[in-house]
Amino acid sequence: MSEALITAKVLHDCGHINLRGRRNDAAFVAAVESVCATSLPQALTTAASGDLRIYWLGPDEWSLVTTAEKTAALLAALNGATAGMHVAVNDLSAAFVTLALGGSKVRELLAKGCTIDLHPAAFASGACAHTGLAKAGVLLALQHVEFRLIVRRSFADYLLQWLHRSGAEYGIEFV
Amino acid sequence: MLLIKCPHCGERAETEFSYGGEAGIQRPANPDALNDAEWADYLFNRKNPRGMHAELWNHAQGCRRWFRVERDTVSYLISDSREL
Repeated sequence: MSEALITAKVLHDCGHINLRGRRNDAAFVAAVESVCATSLPQALTTAASGDLRIYWLGPDEWSLVTTAEKTAALLAALNGATAGMHVAVNDLSAAFVTLALGGSKVRELLAKGCTIDLHPAAFASGACAHTGLAKAGVLLALQHVEFRLIVRRSFADYLLQWLHRSGAEYGIEFV
Repeated sequence: MLLIKCPHCGERAETEFSYGGEAGIQRPANPDALNDAEWADYLFNRKNPRGMHAELWNHAQGCRRWFRVERDTVSYLISDSREL
Protein backbone atom coordinates (compact mmCIF):
# COMPACT_ATOMS: atom_id res chain seq x y z
CA MET A 1 0.00 0.00 0.00
CA SER A 2 1.37 3.39 -0.97
CA GLU A 3 1.56 6.20 1.52
CA ALA A 4 -1.83 7.70 2.39
CA LEU A 5 -2.41 11.08 0.75
CA ILE A 6 -4.90 11.98 3.46
CA THR A 7 -5.01 11.11 7.14
CA ALA A 8 -8.04 11.62 9.35
CA LYS A 9 -8.17 11.45 13.10
CA VAL A 10 -11.04 11.83 15.54
CA LEU A 11 -9.85 14.01 18.40
CA HIS A 12 -11.51 12.67 21.54
CA ASP A 13 -9.80 15.00 23.97
CA CYS A 14 -11.75 18.18 23.16
CA GLY A 15 -14.03 20.49 25.09
CA HIS A 16 -16.23 23.05 23.34
CA ILE A 17 -17.46 26.28 24.89
CA ASN A 18 -19.84 28.53 23.00
CA LEU A 19 -19.39 32.20 23.81
CA ARG A 20 -21.77 34.99 22.88
CA GLY A 21 -21.35 38.66 23.62
CA ARG A 22 -21.18 42.05 21.97
CA ARG A 23 -17.98 42.77 20.08
CA ASN A 24 -18.44 46.50 20.70
CA ASP A 25 -18.65 45.95 24.47
CA ALA A 26 -15.06 46.78 25.47
CA ALA A 27 -15.43 45.33 28.97
CA PHE A 28 -16.63 42.00 27.56
CA VAL A 29 -13.81 41.79 25.01
CA ALA A 30 -11.19 42.72 27.63
CA ALA A 31 -12.54 40.15 30.11
CA VAL A 32 -12.50 37.32 27.57
CA GLU A 33 -9.10 38.26 26.19
CA SER A 34 -7.54 38.31 29.66
CA VAL A 35 -8.93 34.83 30.41
CA CYS A 36 -7.90 33.41 27.03
CA ALA A 37 -4.55 35.21 26.76
CA THR A 38 -5.27 35.91 23.10
CA SER A 39 -7.43 38.31 21.13
CA LEU A 40 -10.96 37.43 20.06
CA PRO A 41 -10.65 36.57 16.36
CA GLN A 42 -12.22 38.77 13.70
CA ALA A 43 -14.57 37.45 11.01
CA LEU A 44 -13.61 34.15 9.37
CA THR A 45 -10.42 33.67 11.39
CA THR A 46 -9.16 31.74 14.40
CA ALA A 47 -6.91 32.54 17.32
CA ALA A 48 -4.76 30.12 19.31
CA SER A 49 -3.11 30.21 22.72
CA GLY A 50 -1.54 27.04 24.06
CA ASP A 51 -4.19 24.29 24.05
CA LEU A 52 -6.95 26.79 23.34
CA ARG A 53 -8.33 27.60 19.92
CA ILE A 54 -10.97 30.24 19.35
CA TYR A 55 -13.09 30.07 16.19
CA TRP A 56 -15.19 32.96 14.90
CA LEU A 57 -18.77 31.80 14.34
CA GLY A 58 -20.63 35.06 13.82
CA PRO A 59 -20.52 38.77 14.66
CA ASP A 60 -21.32 38.06 18.32
CA GLU A 61 -20.45 34.38 18.65
CA TRP A 62 -17.27 32.33 19.10
CA SER A 63 -16.42 28.72 19.77
CA LEU A 64 -13.63 27.99 22.25
CA VAL A 65 -12.03 24.56 21.96
CA THR A 66 -9.56 23.25 24.48
CA THR A 67 -8.68 19.91 26.06
CA ALA A 68 -11.44 18.05 27.89
CA GLU A 69 -9.48 18.38 31.12
CA LYS A 70 -9.22 22.19 30.95
CA THR A 71 -12.79 22.86 29.86
CA ALA A 72 -14.39 23.14 33.30
CA ALA A 73 -11.70 25.56 34.51
CA LEU A 74 -12.02 27.71 31.37
CA LEU A 75 -15.81 27.76 31.73
CA ALA A 76 -15.52 28.86 35.36
CA ALA A 77 -12.93 31.54 34.48
CA LEU A 78 -15.11 32.94 31.67
CA ASN A 79 -18.20 32.95 33.87
CA GLY A 80 -16.24 34.71 36.60
CA ALA A 81 -14.70 37.34 34.32
CA THR A 82 -17.99 38.14 32.56
CA ALA A 83 -20.26 38.05 35.61
CA GLY A 84 -23.04 40.62 35.31
CA MET A 85 -22.40 41.26 31.61
CA HIS A 86 -24.79 40.62 28.74
CA VAL A 87 -23.17 37.34 27.64
CA ALA A 88 -23.86 33.64 27.21
CA VAL A 89 -21.20 31.05 28.07
CA ASN A 90 -22.22 27.45 27.48
CA ASP A 91 -20.39 24.14 27.63
CA LEU A 92 -21.35 22.33 24.42
CA SER A 93 -18.64 19.66 24.61
CA ALA A 94 -21.09 16.78 24.28
CA ALA A 95 -22.61 18.26 21.12
CA PHE A 96 -19.59 18.12 18.82
CA VAL A 97 -17.06 15.76 17.30
CA THR A 98 -13.70 17.19 16.22
CA LEU A 99 -11.68 15.75 13.36
CA ALA A 100 -8.13 16.54 12.27
CA LEU A 101 -7.44 16.11 8.57
CA GLY A 102 -4.04 16.31 6.97
CA GLY A 103 -2.22 15.28 3.82
CA SER A 104 -1.44 16.55 0.37
CA LYS A 105 -4.89 15.86 -1.11
CA VAL A 106 -7.10 17.07 1.73
CA ARG A 107 -8.23 20.22 -0.10
CA GLU A 108 -9.31 18.13 -3.08
CA LEU A 109 -11.29 15.81 -0.85
CA LEU A 110 -13.07 18.65 0.97
CA ALA A 111 -13.79 20.40 -2.31
CA LYS A 112 -15.92 17.42 -3.37
CA GLY A 113 -18.55 18.31 -0.81
CA CYS A 114 -18.00 21.96 -0.02
CA THR A 115 -18.93 25.09 -1.95
CA ILE A 116 -16.40 27.51 -0.46
CA ASP A 117 -13.12 28.26 -2.21
CA LEU A 118 -10.43 26.05 -0.65
CA HIS A 119 -7.54 27.25 -2.81
CA PRO A 120 -4.53 28.04 -0.56
CA ALA A 121 -4.76 31.69 -1.62
CA ALA A 122 -8.39 31.90 -0.49
CA PHE A 123 -8.32 29.60 2.53
CA ALA A 124 -4.98 29.99 4.30
CA SER A 125 -3.70 29.09 7.75
CA GLY A 126 -5.80 30.77 10.41
CA ALA A 127 -8.96 30.78 8.29
CA CYS A 128 -12.21 29.32 9.51
CA ALA A 129 -15.65 29.04 7.98
CA HIS A 130 -18.94 27.59 9.04
CA THR A 131 -20.30 25.99 5.91
CA GLY A 132 -21.79 22.84 4.46
CA LEU A 133 -19.80 19.69 3.77
CA ALA A 134 -21.74 16.99 1.94
CA LYS A 135 -24.92 18.75 3.17
CA ALA A 136 -23.86 18.56 6.84
CA GLY A 137 -23.19 21.83 8.64
CA VAL A 138 -19.54 21.94 9.70
CA LEU A 139 -17.00 24.35 11.11
CA LEU A 140 -13.94 24.13 8.90
CA ALA A 141 -10.66 25.64 10.04
CA LEU A 142 -7.03 25.49 8.97
CA GLN A 143 -4.04 25.74 11.27
CA HIS A 144 -0.76 25.55 9.34
CA VAL A 145 -1.34 22.43 7.20
CA GLU A 146 -3.92 20.69 9.36
CA PHE A 147 -7.64 21.07 8.80
CA ARG A 148 -10.00 20.87 11.74
CA LEU A 149 -13.54 19.75 11.10
CA ILE A 150 -16.05 20.29 13.88
CA VAL A 151 -19.41 18.67 13.30
CA ARG A 152 -22.50 18.01 15.37
CA ARG A 153 -22.28 14.61 17.01
CA SER A 154 -25.45 13.37 15.30
CA PHE A 155 -23.84 14.04 11.89
CA ALA A 156 -20.44 12.57 12.77
CA ASP A 157 -21.16 8.98 11.77
CA TYR A 158 -22.57 10.12 8.42
CA LEU A 159 -19.64 12.47 7.78
CA LEU A 160 -17.06 9.80 8.66
CA GLN A 161 -18.71 7.44 6.18
CA TRP A 162 -18.68 10.20 3.57
CA LEU A 163 -14.97 10.87 4.23
CA HIS A 164 -14.27 7.14 4.07
CA ARG A 165 -15.92 6.76 0.66
CA SER A 166 -14.92 10.10 -0.86
CA GLY A 167 -11.36 9.71 0.38
CA ALA A 168 -10.93 6.16 -0.91
CA GLU A 169 -9.30 7.33 -4.15
CA TYR A 170 -6.64 9.17 -2.09
CA GLY A 171 -6.09 6.18 0.19
CA ILE A 172 -7.52 8.02 3.20
CA GLU A 173 -6.21 6.56 6.42
CA PHE A 174 -8.06 6.83 9.74
CA VAL A 175 -5.50 7.00 12.51
CA MET B 1 -27.12 28.56 -8.20
CA LEU B 2 -27.07 32.04 -6.70
CA LEU B 3 -24.01 33.47 -5.02
CA ILE B 4 -25.40 35.45 -2.11
CA LYS B 5 -23.25 37.91 -0.22
CA CYS B 6 -23.65 37.50 3.52
CA PRO B 7 -22.68 40.79 5.20
CA HIS B 8 -20.62 38.81 7.74
CA CYS B 9 -19.18 35.86 5.77
CA GLY B 10 -18.91 37.16 2.20
CA GLU B 11 -20.16 35.40 -0.92
CA ARG B 12 -21.50 31.90 -0.34
CA ALA B 13 -23.54 29.40 -2.30
CA GLU B 14 -27.32 29.64 -2.23
CA THR B 15 -27.55 26.20 -0.57
CA GLU B 16 -26.18 27.70 2.67
CA PHE B 17 -29.11 30.12 2.98
CA SER B 18 -32.78 30.01 3.71
CA TYR B 19 -35.25 32.54 2.34
CA GLY B 20 -37.33 34.65 4.69
CA GLY B 21 -39.73 36.51 2.41
CA GLU B 22 -40.25 40.21 1.92
CA ALA B 23 -38.14 42.56 4.05
CA GLY B 24 -39.29 45.63 5.91
CA ILE B 25 -42.69 44.42 7.16
CA GLN B 26 -43.50 46.27 10.36
CA ARG B 27 -45.82 44.81 12.97
CA PRO B 28 -48.62 47.35 13.52
CA ALA B 29 -47.99 49.42 16.62
CA ASN B 30 -51.58 49.05 17.76
CA PRO B 31 -53.07 45.78 16.42
CA ASP B 32 -56.37 46.30 18.27
CA ALA B 33 -57.10 49.34 16.14
CA LEU B 34 -56.89 47.42 12.85
CA ASN B 35 -59.89 46.14 10.95
CA ASP B 36 -59.86 42.64 9.43
CA ALA B 37 -58.70 43.82 6.03
CA GLU B 38 -55.75 45.75 7.45
CA TRP B 39 -54.77 42.81 9.70
CA ALA B 40 -54.99 40.39 6.75
CA ASP B 41 -52.87 42.76 4.71
CA TYR B 42 -50.18 42.75 7.40
CA LEU B 43 -50.29 38.97 7.79
CA PHE B 44 -50.67 37.70 4.26
CA ASN B 45 -50.39 40.22 1.45
CA ARG B 46 -46.92 40.55 -0.02
CA LYS B 47 -45.38 42.34 -2.97
CA ASN B 48 -44.55 40.15 -5.93
CA PRO B 49 -42.65 42.55 -8.14
CA ARG B 50 -41.10 41.99 -11.51
CA GLY B 51 -37.75 43.64 -10.79
CA MET B 52 -36.05 44.75 -7.62
CA HIS B 53 -37.31 43.12 -4.45
CA ALA B 54 -36.17 43.67 -0.85
CA GLU B 55 -36.03 40.33 0.90
CA LEU B 56 -34.78 38.62 4.03
CA TRP B 57 -32.27 35.78 3.97
CA ASN B 58 -30.77 33.73 6.77
CA HIS B 59 -27.25 32.34 6.51
CA ALA B 60 -28.40 29.02 7.94
CA GLN B 61 -25.20 27.01 7.41
CA GLY B 62 -22.87 29.89 8.21
CA CYS B 63 -23.16 32.62 10.83
CA ARG B 64 -26.94 31.99 11.23
CA ARG B 65 -27.77 35.71 11.01
CA TRP B 66 -30.69 37.32 9.18
CA PHE B 67 -29.87 40.05 6.69
CA ARG B 68 -31.51 42.09 3.97
CA VAL B 69 -30.91 41.59 0.25
CA GLU B 70 -31.99 43.63 -2.77
CA ARG B 71 -32.54 41.14 -5.58
CA ASP B 72 -33.86 41.53 -9.10
CA THR B 73 -36.51 38.85 -9.61
CA VAL B 74 -35.95 38.84 -13.38
CA SER B 75 -32.15 38.79 -13.69
CA TYR B 76 -31.47 37.43 -10.16
CA LEU B 77 -28.88 40.19 -9.81
CA ILE B 78 -28.19 40.92 -6.15
CA SER B 79 -27.37 44.60 -5.96
CA ASP B 80 -27.14 45.04 -2.19
CA SER B 81 -26.93 43.02 1.00
CA ARG B 82 -26.67 44.49 4.46
CA GLU B 83 -27.19 43.80 8.14
CA LEU B 84 -30.65 44.38 9.53
